Amino acid sequence: MHLLSDRLTAEDYDEAVELFYDRNWTDGLPIVLPTPRRVQALIEHVGRDPQESLGDIPPKGGAATIEKLAVNAVMGGCRPEHFPVVLAAIEAMLAPEHNLNGVLQTTHMCVSLVIVNGPIARALRINSRDGVFGNGYRGNGAIGRGVRLALWNLGGAFPWDTDKSTLSHPAEYAFCIAEEEEDNPWRPLHVDRGCPEGSDAVTVFACEGPHSVFCYGAPEEMLHVLADSMCTLGNNNLHVLGQTLVVLNPLNAEEFAKRGWSKDDVRLYLWENARRSVRDVRACGAVHDQFRKMEIDAGRYPPRYDLDNPTTRVPVTARPEDIHIVVAGGRSYFAAVLPGWGGFGGFAVTRPIRRSR
Amino acid sequence: MTIEFLSPVWPEQAAPRPAKRRPASLEGATIALVDDNLDVPFTTHLESLVEARHGAKVRRLVKPSGTAPSPPALIAEAAEADVAVVGIGL
Repeated sequence: MHLLSDRLTAEDYDEAVELFYDRNWTDGLPIVLPTPRRVQALIEHVGRDPQESLGDIPPKGGAATIEKLAVNAVMGGCRPEHFPVVLAAIEAMLAPEHNLNGVLQTTHMCVSLVIVNGPIARALRINSRDGVFGNGYRGNGAIGRGVRLALWNLGGAFPWDTDKSTLSHPAEYAFCIAEEEEDNPWRPLHVDRGCPEGSDAVTVFACEGPHSVFCYGAPEEMLHVLADSMCTLGNNNLHVLGQTLVVLNPLNAEEFAKRGWSKDDVRLYLWENARRSVRDVRACGAVHDQFRKMEIDAGRYPPRYDLDNPTTRVPVTARPEDIHIVVAGGRSYFAAVLPGWGGFGGFAVTRPIRRSR
Repeated sequence: MTIEFLSPVWPEQAAPRPAKRRPASLEGATIALVDDNLDVPFTTHLESLVEARHGAKVRRLVKPSGTAPSPPALIAEAAEADVAVVGIGL
């Protein structure tokens, strides 16, 4: 196999990893060395031309070739079977509606979350249950970090340079979960988004870290808490709409389903009730108004709301379908809300995972 | 034992084109003021100051969105000016 990447040598692992630090080729953590043998194994697994490019990664525009993505995936700890998921995630992030260029450089603290659906999630032991956003699982860790390292090395948005995230969050190292599909009364996310039942897919969505929501009881009680948690004045959605994510645990979802609530029923209720008055929103200050005006001028803020009336209640998204609902986590009392970047981008994109040939 | 491994980055591209020479004065110079559409009142104020204090001719170029790169046509138009002001945020 002919590979184009520059070849380097070191006397031992310690010397090699220090070279990665010196050249700013790692995110702050040590890496697995991308030896030619390891990199070739990933490329052979997917059976694609090493020089096929999925696109240019912003802001610096490094070509996301299969070869370069394999190098970075190895560094993140991926085995060959993880690599198709990395490729699908990068392909999804490069869709225009995700606005990866903006996501990687905005002052907002959003990070692109990778959500894996389908039988591949279970086969690769990508966690979808207790501690789903946390540590302990190679699938979540290696795929998540492989994706982030590819963005780091090929996109080159660094926090001391053009990545202007004011605070960011730890998911910059890895941000990958699977949806729980077995202990879930509803259709999975990727099927809602047009993929066939039983297929494998990745959905990416740029969002804040998960905010805990103490969510237990009857459907109306859970919805009351969720709706309130989704429309805090500090999140972008309330001011500039866009999309948002709600993660219900399997027990939450079971309770809804037992009482006859479909996922769309939940979504519609949240859209109608996760709202704040114009009086509350206006009290945030003139800058918030300016951003809202920008979205109105861009045609992304529907004109149906009377923003001059202080009692008007404004939603967090323009449409119910912009509230994404995923089932994951342990069977317990907690759900999570993950607000998005707003109307500027980071929107959810789903791509099928191409299994190896 | 020597270990061989692959670079995760592409080789550095050729150096970008050098910037135009700065004019000695802004008097009568054409300034491309790239409006990021993030803080329009501030940008309007800046435009009036540059015109009033320095006698420059401002050509204001408004980006469709402050959260996406400038379209190539806008960059080409800005490049025709003597000076360009970019990156106006909050």
